[in-house]
Amino acid sequence: MKILVCLKQVPAKDAPVKVASDGANAGKWIRDDVGYETNEPDAYALEEALRQKEAHGGEVVALTVGPARAAQVLREALAKGADRAVHVLGDDLAALDSYAAAEAISRAIAGQGFDLIFTGLQSADFGFGQTGVVLAELLGIPHSTIIMQVEPIAGGVRVKRELEGGFFQFQELPTPAVLTIQSGINKLRYATLMGIKQAKSKPLAQVTAADLGVTPALNRQAIQRLYVPVKTKKTEMLTGAAAQVAGQLAARLKNDLRVI
Amino acid sequence: MASAEHPVMPAAAVIVGAGPAGLACALRLAQLLDQHAGQAGLPAKDEILLLEKGREVGAHLLSGAVMDPRGLAELLPDFAAGAPLASPVTTDAAFFLTADRSWRFPITPPPLRNHGNYVISLNQLGKWLGEKVEQAGITIFPATAGAKLLFSGDRVVGVRTDDKGKDRSGQPKGNFEPGYDLQTPNVILAEGPRGSLSKQLLDRGQLSGANPQVYSLGVKEIWDVPAGRIRPGEVAHTMGWPLPADMYGGGWVYGLSDRRISIGLVTGLEYRDPATDPFVLFQRYKTHPWIRTFLEGGEMVRYGAKTVPMGGHFALPPAAGPGWMLIGDSAGYLNSQRLKGIHLAIKSGMLAAEALFASWIGGGDAAVLAFPRQVQASWIGKELWAVRNFHQGFEHGLARGLLHGAAQMATAGRGLHARYPAIAGHRRMRKLQQLGTPPPPPFVPDGKLTFGKMEDVYHSGTRHEEDQPAHLLIQDTDICNSRCTWEYGNPCQHFCPAAVYEMVTAEDGSKQIHLNPSNCVHCKTCDIMDPYEIITWVPPEGGGGPNYEGE
Repeated sequence: MKILVCLKQVPAKDAPVKVASDGANAGKWIRDDVGYETNEPDAYALEEALRQKEAHGGEVVALTVGPARAAQVLREALAKGADRAVHVLGDDLAALDSYAAAEAISRAIAGQGFDLIFTGLQSADFGFGQTGVVLAELLGIPHSTIIMQVEPIAGGVRVKRELEGGFFQFQELPTPAVLTIQSGINKLRYATLMGIKQAKSKPLAQVTAADLGVTPALNRQAIQRLYVPVKTKKTEMLTGAAAQVAGQLAARLKNDLRVI
Repeated sequence: MASAEHPVMPAAAVIVGAGPAGLACALRLAQLLDQHAGQAGLPAKDEILLLEKGREVGAHLLSGAVMDPRGLAELLPDFAAGAPLASPVTTDAAFFLTADRSWRFPITPPPLRNHGNYVISLNQLGKWLGEKVEQAGITIFPATAGAKLLFSGDRVVGVRTDDKGKDRSGQPKGNFEPGYDLQTPNVILAEGPRGSLSKQLLDRGQLSGANPQVYSLGVKEIWDVPAGRIRPGEVAHTMGWPLPADMYGGGWVYGLSDRRISIGLVTGLEYRDPATDPFVLFQRYKTHPWIRTFLEGGEMVRYGAKTVPMGGHFALPPAAGPGWMLIGDSAGYLNSQRLKGIHLAIKSGMLAAEALFASWIGGGDAAVLAFPRQVQASWIGKELWAVRNFHQGFEHGLARGLLHGAAQMATAGRGLHARYPAIAGHRRMRKLQQLGTPPPPPFVPDGKLTFGKMEDVYHSGTRHEEDQPAHLLIQDTDICNSRCTWEYGNPCQHFCPAAVYEMVTAEDGSKQIHLNPSNCVHCKTCDIMDPYEIITWVPPEGGGGPNYEGE
């Protein structure tokens, strides 16, 4: 099986979120002085691809769309066992929306004939959760989301999807297909020292987004306002007889807060 | 676990620690190998391995930092064109603080003059050097700690890296990967102060200097402030408040840009009162009427804490032995009078690379063993000799320290004694009964100018795999829960700047020690300052620890 894994480099989970308050960048997310890491569900997608390859043979190709620093996620993927990598390179690619990112990916892999394409379920920075789905549409192939299990069958795959409230759905899809992978589908491996050393001699192809005709001008959505929500706390005292208060409390929990 | 279960990787050299010393050593080796390319008998560059326990190069690098560019200029003569230097030092001044006033020294004391130096982020400099090392073809293993030295007799023959994927009780998890045995004739320890592999040599009695090594703890924040508070490259050093007169240390305020300030306080880890809390002293420091004018209305954005070796010349251990060399802070190459070590770390890394290269082209072991003499003969040796008695002069406090300092300056560093002695810092700590002072009232942060340890640790980007064995090994917690409680009042809960050590009340009302290893910022204070010497800091699973982005 030939599997493509799309990986995104995102600000580290512990990076403080800062939004510029004044000047030309007012309202922009300040991300130039934070640490970066592989988007968590994407790391699980890579792990799943490596496990599929180990069980059934084939090739795993890692791809990212991002500036030069994003090559780090590809080096990690190669160290963990991906066979080769593709970097769609450009300085302003963090500004792409899901559609433009999917365009970049579909154009970069044109004609490569992957059986499966894995993405993470969503990104930790913007969390649109759309790139994989749009990519499938652009490629004209089926997709399935929130995947918790992947099992090859004749001519396709059988997958387990996570639904709300502890329910799961099993689905069969013909390949090629796009699957968006949920965190926790497997247990992530560590890169071994031998893997890190060997990664250096694996192919890492670069193609510029400009050559693919992809810029933020392709975006179909615009962010109107970005702000850090103000933390608020509201305390309300329920008074009266115990039975009465319990009734009020139950009603609030059920109707207003919807936790029961 | 039997050695057979660890995969083996042979290497020409293993450098432990990608700080300024280790990176300079790797880069210098690459330069020498490039210059002699094609010569028979030399190793390939990718057989030189550089280990870094942080999640990436630079993640654990913390410094003030004002850098003397002397070392970097020797390593990379055209450094100014590309290195991330926040600002050249534009003005510098020294101040003496009391609780409510500040006096500027009429002239800035020569050791604190910084003309020609740069305010930098050591994290950024480390990342930049790391890229150069990688491009040069050296193999860097990030998120990989040195777990133990491998010996054959007295000879160091390799480094075992950390096991990954062990649970709390030490049992392998589903993704367990055993550490590698990196077999090599040359191990270069660049672990920073109080390295855990260096400590193995110390425990074998191979690292004793004339004086014991002594340390200080630097606690630091970075603030984003409104424009107009400071100029880029503006450097201020302070002495006095809030440190008591008998305590060694001082503070700094540096302008990284017109909107960003580096502020910190260094506290000598040789204080008498076990309730001393360097973190709280730093929080108080920020409330000084003059210091707060820099910060008010601004926002704290980063935090970090790290120890610094202060012992100087007379505390230097033998820096080489069969199969090993020590460089940078691991060896103690730091000028305690100027509070600068980056330039010495870089130079010592270069000298170690040159010694190793000499051993490869026919010099053998003798070339490696000559390394400490070459350090002494270099400008490192001269710089440290000139201030050989400075730190020890402060043994009886600031006033006498300044007098000794003046006497030493007049006598080319000698002062009143050829060698001022020193004792290890944890031995100075007094028992509660001897001290007889009531414990200080608890410090209450205001959440704007001052913070608690948990709030600050959050801003250090610290993260560890939660399900792993504790990396702070306490030999006997009975000592903590009984003897230490009444003798010293559990100083660990005070000296740790990351709230790793807590005394919690058990069901029977007794106080029990509780560890929060996930908070650890890898400063090593506990390993140094614990009065019973029962705490051993070992590296947690590689990749854990702080993320000193931009610090």
